[in-house]
Formats: sequence, structure tokens, C-alpha cells
Amino acid sequence: MHLTPGHGILLPTELLHSSGFAVLAAFVAINTVMYASLALAKVLPKVYLSDLWTSVNRRAENRSIHPDGTPSPADPDRLVEAA
Amino acid sequence: MQFGRFQRAIGFLVLGASGGAAALLWFAVAESSPAPRVAMDEGLLFGVWHVFYDTAAPAPRVLLAAVAMALLFAVGLALVERRITTRSRRSLDLRVKPLAPKVVMAATTGVYGGPVTITVLIPAHDEEASIGHTISSLLGQSHRPERVVVVADNCTDRTIPIARATGVEVIESVGNTKKKAGALNQALAVVLPGQGDNDLVMVMDADTALDDGFLESAVRRFTADRALMAVGGLFYGEQGAGLIGLFQRNEYVRYAREMARRRGRVYVLTGTASLFRPVALRTVAGSRGGSLPGVHGDVYDTAALTEDNELTIALKSLGALMVSPADCTVVTEVMPTWPTLWNQRLRWQRGALENLGAYGVTPQTFRNWAQQLGIGYGVIGLSAYVLLALLTVASVDHWVWFPFWVGMGLLFMAERVVTVWKGGWRARLLAVTIVPELCFDLFLNAVFVKGVLDISFGRQASWTHLSHSADLDPGVEPDLDVNLDPDPGIVKAA
Repeated sequence: MHLTPGHGILLPTELLHSSGFAVLAAFVAINTVMYASLALAKVLPKVYLSDLWTSVNRRAENRSIHPDGTPSPADPDRLVEAA
Repeated sequence: MQFGRFQRAIGFLVLGASGGAAALLWFAVAESSPAPRVAMDEGLLFGVWHVFYDTAAPAPRVLLAAVAMALLFAVGLALVERRITTRSRRSLDLRVKPLAPKVVMAATTGVYGGPVTITVLIPAHDEEASIGHTISSLLGQSHRPERVVVVADNCTDRTIPIARATGVEVIESVGNTKKKAGALNQALAVVLPGQGDNDLVMVMDADTALDDGFLESAVRRFTADRALMAVGGLFYGEQGAGLIGLFQRNEYVRYAREMARRRGRVYVLTGTASLFRPVALRTVAGSRGGSLPGVHGDVYDTAALTEDNELTIALKSLGALMVSPADCTVVTEVMPTWPTLWNQRLRWQRGALENLGAYGVTPQTFRNWAQQLGIGYGVIGLSAYVLLALLTVASVDHWVWFPFWVGMGLLFMAERVVTVWKGGWRARLLAVTIVPELCFDLFLNAVFVKGVLDISFGRQASWTHLSHSADLDPGVEPDLDVNLDPDPGIVKAA
């Protein structure tokens, strides 16, 4: 069904069919898809490729404050990343 | 902070880069001359419901290009950040990266500096309403701090007697006109010389309470890794303050979730509660006036509006290893009114820009620059979105369904809800309604624009500090002071 030209609440409906509106709609659509992709990535679990190669993260030397390398109750090394 | 031309250029740079990127896309779209819509359709839903709908949507190749571009940006940013981090971690350059892990470990091999202890500094300016609760949260920790010092800065209320009554030490600032950073510098000048390698210094806000287990976790980490230079807290918003409080709590929950997904890699060592190894603070103080901005000998740069963000960049610049673990959480105040929230966020934004001005474009500020540009672009994107929605609503003469936009809306709704899931049913309810949080984002965007324009046109920034006396508002805590330690990392793109 084709709608006959008329008036919206404030503006004429022809506005929706103008080329300027089409550019705005396309601009917003592309941006929205970009942000939606990022939103989707935020919802999904984050994958760390480095997890697949655990040996890479293994430390070569004792980093404890105890020179003899007294093991700590839990090794949080994997969580520690330089910033 | 010296207000120079480069400071002003920061604003124009952020504006220009964000606006330029948006303009580029706009012209590319205009060049492709998208066809104006000429028709919409009518259909019958469930056999009874007449609906008008418009199936307008970008072409599949355009959609694919948009998805690819977004992922390219996200992955590219992550990879560059990771590369910068790794290079810093592996540095052996004692002169440029004196706090890099390998340098620190080489200096402490075979040396035992004693067990890890904690000295807590609590800067306080008229915090009588909350200081008691802050101290009790410290003394009630499973790993109790060895020493607690309240740094009373120009207090005119009962902060000092309340602190003394709890048995902790009090250091009063003398002639300090440099706000919190100045008071902390004075206290650190007294405390730091006596600290051994493993005698940590913790700086925490007087309007913040530690969750139990914070210090135990931090001590475990500092014990296991002598190259670890700092541990930052993750902050959650206190209960109360109605809808505006909920907006902020949701924001903080999302920030904490993001930090957990980053496995604790630090954006900002929050001033609400962070611990430092003494060598880190001493090295920062010794580097100021040289490789770092500020006055030689000062731990904190008193010219910075956001001193915690500045200290984080300083430590990063020196190669320090730091983490914000998911189990080191604190509860901090939320702004109770829109004007106080506006002031707080404006200062965070202004501070973040000034910090960038002070450090310039370096590998360590790459993430901060990307964040500013990302927010700038987000402002334009969200504004265009709102404009399109308003024009559409004002121009249609009856309700029309747009399946493409409904689909996008549902995706955003899912993201909003999932990311605040831990915040409880109120948080989810607010998120699922979308529009209120969209309005909150517009508010934050307005703050961003104001901050960028202010710095661009050289308007001076000012501090705001509102406080309520405990006597005036018995039974209500914590206090309603404007938060004096911002975290620009929380400011996000729409």
C-alpha cells in the first residue's frame, strides 16, 4: 500500500521521503550497526587466544617476595598484566 | 598544570578527529546517494491486527562493511594495547622504565624485604559524616592494616576527633592550598621514608568503604609477585539516591564487568582505594620535573584535576606492573543530584584531557586517547540517532514499524540488561527500558562536549566541594561530598 502525502505530528510526511533524510538514515544505520556489533561482542564471552598456549604464560623465575620461592596460597600471576 | 597552547589544542584535536571521522562517513554515504523511501507496507498480524511497516534497511554489503569496521577497530585497539603492554613488561631499560618488572626483579633478586604490611592514608576534608564508617571498614578487614593515618586537610568539622577516637593516627596538612594531592604529598613526605620494600602504602577516600577480603587479596598478590607495583580497587556505588543513584550504580557495575573481562588490566588506579609499593611512589616522585610532569619530589602532581588518573599514567610511563583484581572491591558514594553529578563528571572529563595534554601522545596514553576519540565519535553517533528518531516521530501520521530498527533495539536491550545483570532486578529493570539510560548517556555526552569546549576555549576549571554536616543529617551516611577522586575510565561512549 502506498501512503498518500500528509502531515505528521509536526512535520510533513514528505520529509521521510527526501534524499537528505535518506542520507541521515543511512548514516545512522551504519553507525548503529557498528555499535550493535560492539554490543554483541560485549554480551558474548571474551576469548583469549593466549589461553590456548598456556606455556607462554608460565613464568621463568620465582617472583615471590621470598627469595626461596615459598609458594603463595594462590598464584594470581595469570591475572596480572602490565598496564 | 600549565595552561598552554597544547592544552587547548587537545580539545580541538579531540573535536576535529571525532568530527572528521563522522564527516568522512557522512560524505561517503551521501556520495552513494541512498534511495529515498517512497513506500511502506500494510499487513495483517495474527489475522486481526493491521500494521504499517517499512522494511528499509542498509544493503547487506553495507551492513557487512559496518560490522567489519567495528570489529577491526575493537580488535585493532586491543592488539595495539597488548603490544604496548608486552613491550613495557619486557623492558630492561633502567633509565626509561625503572619500574618495569625485569628491572625491579633484577634489583631485588635474593633480597627479602620482610613481610607485606599495609599503611593506609585517608585524605579527608570535612568528612565527619563518613570517616567513621571508612575506618571501621578498614579495621574489620580479614587482613587488618598495620597502620591507618587520616590525612586531615583544612578540616573545620569533627573529622579529626572522630578519627582519633577510633585509635588511628592523624596527620594534619600545614598551609596546604593544593587540595587532596597537596595534602597527600605532605603526608607521604612523612610516611614514605620509613617504608621498607614490602611496606605498602594504600590511599583511600574518606567516603569509601572496603569490601571484606580486599586487603587479604592484595597482600596475597604483592607477596606472590615482587614486581607488582600497584593494586587498584573496583568501585561499586552505594545504595540510595533514587534513580540518579541507580544510573551511576549501573555504570559502575558495567565498568567492573569490563575490568573482569580485561582480567584486571588497569585503566585507572582509582583514588577510591589503591595500594602501591613504596619504590613505585618514590620513583614517581624522583622522576617528576624530568621525565614526568609536576614538581620534583612530589608523588602527586598537584596541578592535575584528576590526580589518580595522572598517577596511573605516570606509573605506566615508568613501566610499572599493576592490576585491578575482581575481588578487590569498594563501595563509594554516588552523586545525589544532577548538578553535583554534572560537576563531578565535568571535572573527570577536564582532568582526563589535561592529563593527556601533560603527557602528549605516547604509547602509555594511547588507550586514553582512543577513549576520548571514541567518546567524541559516540556523541555524534548518538546525536544523529536521536535526531533521526525525533524527525521520524514528528513526520509520521500513524504508527509505523521498522523491523530493522526494532531488531537493533532488541540487540541493544539485551546488551544493556546482560551487562548490569549482577546489579540486581532494579538495575535490569532500568536497563530493559532503554530510554532512561539513553537519556543518561545524553547527559554524559553533554558533559563531554562542555569539557572539550571549555578546554578548547581556555576556560579555567574549578573545583567544587559540597559537604553535608553529619549533625544536619543524622543517621545518613556516607556523606554527600563531591567525589574528589575521579576515574575518567568510567566515562564511556554511548
